[in-house]
Amino acid sequence: MWARIIHWIEVRIGIEELINKHLRQFRSPKGATFWNTLGFVTLVAFIVQAVTGIMLLLYYIPHPEHAFKSVQTITNDIPYGWLFRLIHNVGGNIIVAVIIIHMVHVFLRVSYKRPREITWLTGVLMFLLVLLACITGQLLPWHQTGFWQTTVTTTIPSFLPVIGEGISSYMRGGEFVTGITLSRFFSFHVVILPVFITILMLLHVILIRRQGLSTSPVIEPETDASPPDDFKREAHPEGQPCFPHFSLKRLFMVMIYFTVLFFILTFFPNLFLPPEANIQADPMTTPEFIRPAWYFLAPYQIIKTIPNDVLGISLLVIFSVVLMFWPFLDAKDAGRNIRKRPMLMSLGLIVLALWIIFTIWGMYS
Amino acid sequence: MIRHLIISVTVITALFSTGLSRASYRETFEKEFMLSPWAIAKGEISACIQCHTSDSMDTEMQQLVRDWRLSWHAKNNVSCHDCHGGAPEDASMSMSHQRGFKGSPQEIDIPEFCGTCHIAIKNNYLQSGHGKTFQESAEGPSCITCHGSHNIQQASMDLINEQLCTKCHTYDRAKEMKQALFMVESKLNNINKDLKRLKVLGIATDRQEKAYFRNHAEFRTLFHSIDVDAVRSKSSDYSQSLEIIESEINESFKQLAFRRNFSAYLFMIFIGLSIVVFLLSKSYDPQDG
Repeated sequence: MWARIIHWIEVRIGIEELINKHLRQFRSPKGATFWNTLGFVTLVAFIVQAVTGIMLLLYYIPHPEHAFKSVQTITNDIPYGWLFRLIHNVGGNIIVAVIIIHMVHVFLRVSYKRPREITWLTGVLMFLLVLLACITGQLLPWHQTGFWQTTVTTTIPSFLPVIGEGISSYMRGGEFVTGITLSRFFSFHVVILPVFITILMLLHVILIRRQGLSTSPVIEPETDASPPDDFKREAHPEGQPCFPHFSLKRLFMVMIYFTVLFFILTFFPNLFLPPEANIQADPMTTPEFIRPAWYFLAPYQIIKTIPNDVLGISLLVIFSVVLMFWPFLDAKDAGRNIRKRPMLMSLGLIVLALWIIFTIWGMYS
Repeated sequence: MIRHLIISVTVITALFSTGLSRASYRETFEKEFMLSPWAIAKGEISACIQCHTSDSMDTEMQQLVRDWRLSWHAKNNVSCHDCHGGAPEDASMSMSHQRGFKGSPQEIDIPEFCGTCHIAIKNNYLQSGHGKTFQESAEGPSCITCHGSHNIQQASMDLINEQLCTKCHTYDRAKEMKQALFMVESKLNNINKDLKRLKVLGIATDRQEKAYFRNHAEFRTLFHSIDVDAVRSKSSDYSQSLEIIESEINESFKQLAFRRNFSAYLFMIFIGLSIVVFLLSKSYDPQDG
């Protein structure tokens, strides 16, 4: 009976064929490690955000008079509402951390080189959109922290010459953070950004499926002798089938993601919710300390440190553009083994170190 | 085909971002509904503070602002004009009597002056020994004798102290009062501390805060009665009513403990699953592929 049901489904859907084609025949490269699974972890983290976000959406009211109260109701009155809210809050921070680690890993493996330039570009764009989703999300509970963080964050683009004021004004929907900002951020957070992130994510995954996972340049020497304009898929005949070998590695890292998530929920549930996050937004009362979220501390401190605001913001814009188009800037055929490219390694590590230093500096300044 | 599509999209976007966004319905909507209560008020600068902190004022007058800035009033956004009247937003009319400027009250008018806001406390004070003496002689203790005039701090039992009371009389009776008030006062302090802690931990405490505030305000009126027996009998009533708030607070702490335990449970499950999956992945020989 059971076998007949399975067969009935198999004839119509072809799950076995799907598994064979996309998981067994798709092979992971030789020497693929847990680091290679971070993209998949990001995908799972994004799904977790979407599911918890939809649950929050059932009770959330995007209006200045009701937003704070509705979030309080979710946290205190709705059964297990606190769990969804905290997972969404902590998960949003973990997803940024996972993407950063993923990007550093891809950079150090120089996996962005031909033919993966567009894969890198979609990844960086996705990262920027995730940051925007974080910015828009922090205002939605309409608490003091979110309100004033938004006030600070939406001021930063105004330092840009000519278009800066326009960008700030468009983000806020006026001169100040008001109900218009809330409804604008709400629509960006729950519809516009998730749609764009999903499209980019699909594109990212399709490109990875087409090109195959990148080989570690240290383990497998480069053998690619195809002309620049030809496409050659990395089939990894010496590697392992994606299912079950690499899938188990992925599953393990997903378990680690959930372990970290619930570790924070158990021991530091308010890690990303400072005391002011429990006070309704009050445009007339500025909190004593306003700091952006941890992932914005470095740009915030850079702008604070550089006396000329235009120069500070310009540096950040240039950095973002360079990061986005890095594969095209590092296009010359100098090999993918970063150990043989001390200049590239130094550059990557210096930028990373500076970012960490500015983040710590921003935390304590 | 693609060119037509791009042109159409550009035209539609331009229309939306320029023409439609300036439609009159939107302006009305923004002004009347969205903007008004939440926009930061422009020109929230007090002419009183500007003038009183300027060099043209003598030190004593400047000190008034310094004292006020440290006060409980300042912490709760009670500004100069809330007590003294006038128009702080308009320097030329700030001291106009037509705009409700009252200036500093005469000694005899102080209870009325403070009682504009503290209505219940004023009545309670006027019926007390302190209030009666003041009304009869105009020399007894008024509000500012104990609370000060500009550096006004949150009323607490610490105001009943030997140094302050012995300015006018012996401390014996005041000490007896303080002892009678002590239990309820310490309960109130504990509740206040717990409510603040719960709030920081993300628990909604609005209802308990309101109940606390009501009890706190009513209890404060007892401080002015200076009738020890009345205080003793009413203290037990307050204790009972505070116990209800305390039990609700305990429930909230239990809820927090449940949240922590539930998260810890999920944490342990995922640690277990991580170990299982890790061992499973190791069980596959890399040569299998």
